[in-house]
Amino acid sequence: MRDQIVEAVSTTFLQVVEQLTFMFGEPADKGDIVDVDGEYILAQLSFTGDLCGTLSLAVPNDCVPEIAANILGLEPEEMEANSMAPDSLGEMLNVICGHVIMAIAGKGADFKLGSPAIGPATPAFLADAANDSDWLGFLLEENLVLLGLVTE
Amino acid sequence: MAFNILLVDDSVTVRSVISKALHLAGVDINLLYQAANGQEALEILEAEWIDIVLCDISMPIMDGETLVARMGENGMIKTIPVVIVSSAGSEPRIQRLRDMGVRDYIQKPFTPERIREVVDNVMGVSRHA
Repeated sequence: MRDQIVEAVSTTFLQVVEQLTFMFGEPADKGDIVDVDGEYILAQLSFTGDLCGTLSLAVPNDCVPEIAANILGLEPEEMEANSMAPDSLGEMLNVICGHVIMAIAGKGADFKLGSPAIGPATPAFLADAANDSDWLGFLLEENLVLLGLVTE
Repeated sequence: MAFNILLVDDSVTVRSVISKALHLAGVDINLLYQAANGQEALEILEAEWIDIVLCDISMPIMDGETLVARMGENGMIKTIPVVIVSSAGSEPRIQRLRDMGVRDYIQKPFTPERIREVVDNVMGVSRHA
């Protein structure tokens, strides 16, 4: 991603996550990203229109219930948050995606969002993402999350 | 006056958050209906008394734009006010939806205060300190 786009994506991601989950984050060092390991959930959302592509978000398994609980205003231990965790992650990606597209293409851009697809991220996928310049890393309250934007 | 409100969003998370926001904001709710897409919403609209619809744009089966268009074709429900709650609200699309009769737009993420402001405005509620 070019510098301006990276800056727009990074700033937008951190702002939306803070507003939505009340969790604070910062861009991760390249060394942190390369060392990514553990079990991750991958959320992906495609978009069409003036800008076409896919936005992907990989989050550590343990962090997903915390994100969901924060969005829903519940404790992470509460069952509802756990059962709704994938849906909440998908919704967070949905909101991030809308804002990222408008940050890149402007508020006048016409676009449609698809439905989020949620599933486990394989170690091979994470390793590829960590070495791909289309992916950014963030430390979200000490959790390393990866955000990937691929445009056509 | 208490309102019958219909929430239309394919995300159960969003429906839960909007429901909480409505309660936190002090919006006077009689009944709160929920639908996961436009088709489910149409079935509720044709069967129940609904005062206001809060609706997402991007949904499977029937999206928000189609729902608004279908409501406009049905004389029984065409006057029910619709507010779009979405993160996919680009300016051209919002203008298109306003031209179709949508009353207002709430961008996600939102605050309870924003929800109340829009519902009060659309439903003609005035609050005095």
